[in-house]
Amino acid sequence: MKRIPWILTCAAALLITGCNSKSTGGNANGKLTIGLLPKSKGNQYFVTCEKGARLAAADLGAELLFDGPTNTDPAKQNEIVENWISLGVDVIAAACENKDGISTALKKAQDAGIKVVTYDADAQTDARSFFVNQATAQGIGEQLMDTAASLTGGEGEFAIITATLTAANTNEWIKYIQERQAAKYPNMKLVEIKPSDDQKDKAQQETTNLISAYPNLKAVIAVCSPAVPGAAEAVKQAGKAGSIKVLGLGLPSENKAYVKEGVTQAVVLWKVEDLGYLTVQVAAAVAQGKLQAGATEFDAGKLGKFEIKGDNVLLGKPFVFTKENIDDFDF
Amino acid sequence: MTQQTNKLKLSAILARHETVLLLVILLEIFIFQSFGRNFLAPSNVSNIFRHSVEIGLLALVMTPVILTGGIDLSVGSMMGLCAVVFGILVKQYEMSPWLAAMLAISLGAIGGSVNAFLITKMNLPPLIVTLGTFSLFRGLAEALTKGSEAYSGFPEGFLSIGNGSFLGLPSQLWIFFAVAILMGLLVHQTTWGRSLRAIGYASEGARYAGISVRLNTGMAYVIAGAIAGLAAVILVARLGEARANVGIGYELLAITAVVLGGTSIFGGAGSIYGTLLGYIAVAILNNGLGRITAHQIFDQPIASVSRELSGILTGLLLLVALAAGVILKSLASRRARRQSLAVKPTTI
Repeated sequence: MKRIPWILTCAAALLITGCNSKSTGGNANGKLTIGLLPKSKGNQYFVTCEKGARLAAADLGAELLFDGPTNTDPAKQNEIVENWISLGVDVIAAACENKDGISTALKKAQDAGIKVVTYDADAQTDARSFFVNQATAQGIGEQLMDTAASLTGGEGEFAIITATLTAANTNEWIKYIQERQAAKYPNMKLVEIKPSDDQKDKAQQETTNLISAYPNLKAVIAVCSPAVPGAAEAVKQAGKAGSIKVLGLGLPSENKAYVKEGVTQAVVLWKVEDLGYLTVQVAAAVAQGKLQAGATEFDAGKLGKFEIKGDNVLLGKPFVFTKENIDDFDF
Repeated sequence: MTQQTNKLKLSAILARHETVLLLVILLEIFIFQSFGRNFLAPSNVSNIFRHSVEIGLLALVMTPVILTGGIDLSVGSMMGLCAVVFGILVKQYEMSPWLAAMLAISLGAIGGSVNAFLITKMNLPPLIVTLGTFSLFRGLAEALTKGSEAYSGFPEGFLSIGNGSFLGLPSQLWIFFAVAILMGLLVHQTTWGRSLRAIGYASEGARYAGISVRLNTGMAYVIAGAIAGLAAVILVARLGEARANVGIGYELLAITAVVLGGTSIFGGAGSIYGTLLGYIAVAILNNGLGRITAHQIFDQPIASVSRELSGILTGLLLLVALAAGVILKSLASRRARRQSLAVKPTTI
C-alpha cells in the first residue's frame, strides 16, 4: 500500500503536464504536412507507392509522413490516424484495410479540420473528400479474367489466391472476375478462393494444396502482390511450370525471375509509383483548396491530367506485364 | 550503525523495481517531449491511454494469473470471440449494446472457466491449456464470421465509450481506473491475493496450509476471461467495428507489461502497482516513437522506421529490466552475506 502515493504522483504529474502544455499545432516550419497511411508497411507495393509519394512531396515542397501497421491488428490504422490528428497534420491520405473501422478515425480527423483523401482502398464515402482510384474494380477483374482465358485457351479449372477474405477491394475484383467468367468463358470453372494473409509463404502453401486437390487445375490467379511469387514458387516446385498458368496482380520486380523462367505468364498492375505520386498531389490540392467537389479533371504536375468521375480520381487502365516488356520497368 | 541502515534503506528504495521503472517512464517522457512533436499535448496524452487501455486491462488481470505461476495466452483470442459475439448480438439480434456487453463479459468468464477447469481439475499445464484455447477462441470467432463478416454501425451512445471523454479524460480510462482499483484491492488486501502468492511460491505448501489451490487459481482465470470480454467491448466501441481479428497479439503485450512491472514469471511475487507502471512504460513507448518525425533528430524521415523500432525497444526494455532485476538481487544477497559474516564474530 505504501506504493500507492508513488503511482498517484506519477499519474498526476503526467496528466497535469499533459493538460498544461499547449499544443503547438501543425508544424513549426510552416510546410504542408501530409500523412500517408498504407495498409501495411513492409509490403513492397506500398514501399513503391511511398517512392512516388516522396517525389510528389519534393515537387510540392511538402512534408510527408509515411507510417502504417506492421502486423494485422485491425486497431493499428485507427491509432496512427488519431496520432496524426494530435500531431496536427494538414491532410491524411489513407489506404483502408477495414472500411468501417478506419472511417471512425477518419471522421474524427475531418471534425478536427484535417482534410482526408483515400487511395488504393476506399473508406466510407462521407469519411473522405476524394478517392484516388488506381483502377476500377471492373477494369481489374476483367483484365485478369481475360488474360487468364487467353493463356488457357478459355477452358479448364482455375483457382484464386486472395489477400484476406475481408479486404474490400480484393473481394470486389473477385466479384468481377466471376462475372466476366460467367458472361464470356462458360468453359472455365472457378474451383476455390483461398486467403494468403498477404504473405508469400501462405500463398505458396495454399497453392501447393490446390495443386494436389485439383489435378486438372489450369490456372492460378493471385489477386494480391505477395501471392503471385508465392503461387509461382508452388507451381515451380510441383514441376507444373507452363502447364498451370500463373498470373496475378503484383509488382513486376517481384515477379521478374518467375516471368523470365516461364513459370508466371502475366503480371497485371497499374503503375504503382504513379499512384503514390497522384495521391500526394491530390491530397495537397485538397488541403490547399485547389481541388474541390465537382471537378472533372485534375492536373497532377509532371504526370499530366487525370479524369475525375464523381469523387473518384482515376489513375487509368491496368497494364499487363509479360516476358516481352517486363524489363522496361524497375518497380 | 544508524548511518549504515539509512544508507541501506536508500539503496533498497533505489534498487526497488518500481523505482527503476518510474525513472524509465520519466526518461521516456523527457525524451519524447524533447524530440517528439506535440507529445505532451492533451490530445496525445489522451491517445496514449485511449489506444492502450485494452492492453492495460489484460495486464491487470494477467497479474494474478502469473502470481500463481500460471499464464493465460488466450485472452487476446478471447477478445476476438467476445467482439464477434457482441457484434452478432447487437446487429443480428438487435439487442441493446449494454445488454450485449454484459453477455460478452459473461462469455469471457465462461471461456475463463474452461481454462480454469482444464488447469485446476485436469491438472494440465496452463501454458498448454491456454495455447489450446488461444487457437480455439480465435478459431470460433473466425468460424462465426466465416473469416470475413464484420459488424459496424453501433449506436453513438455506445461508441462514446471508445471515443468520447468524461470529465476531461477518455471515457474508457474511467473503466480502467475502476478495474485497477478493484484488482489492487483483490490482490493486495484480500486472502485471495495472499493465497495466489502462496500458490505461486509453493503450490504444495499452500495446499498443506489449507488453501484451496484449485478454487483460488481457477478464480484468476475466470476474472481474466471476463475482463478480456470487457476489453473487447471497449475496443469495439473505439473502432466502431467488431471483427474476428481484434486483440491479436495483445496477450503478449499484456504479459510484457506484467513482467516488466516486476512480477516473477515463476509466480509468488509481484504487484498490481508494478503492472500499472509496466503498462504505462509500454504504452508511452509505443505512442512516443510514432511522434518522432522527419527533420527532428537527423535530417531524414525517422517516422518511417519508428514503428519497427517500437518492437525492438519494447523487447530491449523487457530484457534489460529482467537482467537488471537479477543483477540487483544478486548484489543485494552478496551484500547481506558479507554483512552477516561481518557481524558474526561480535556475537560469538
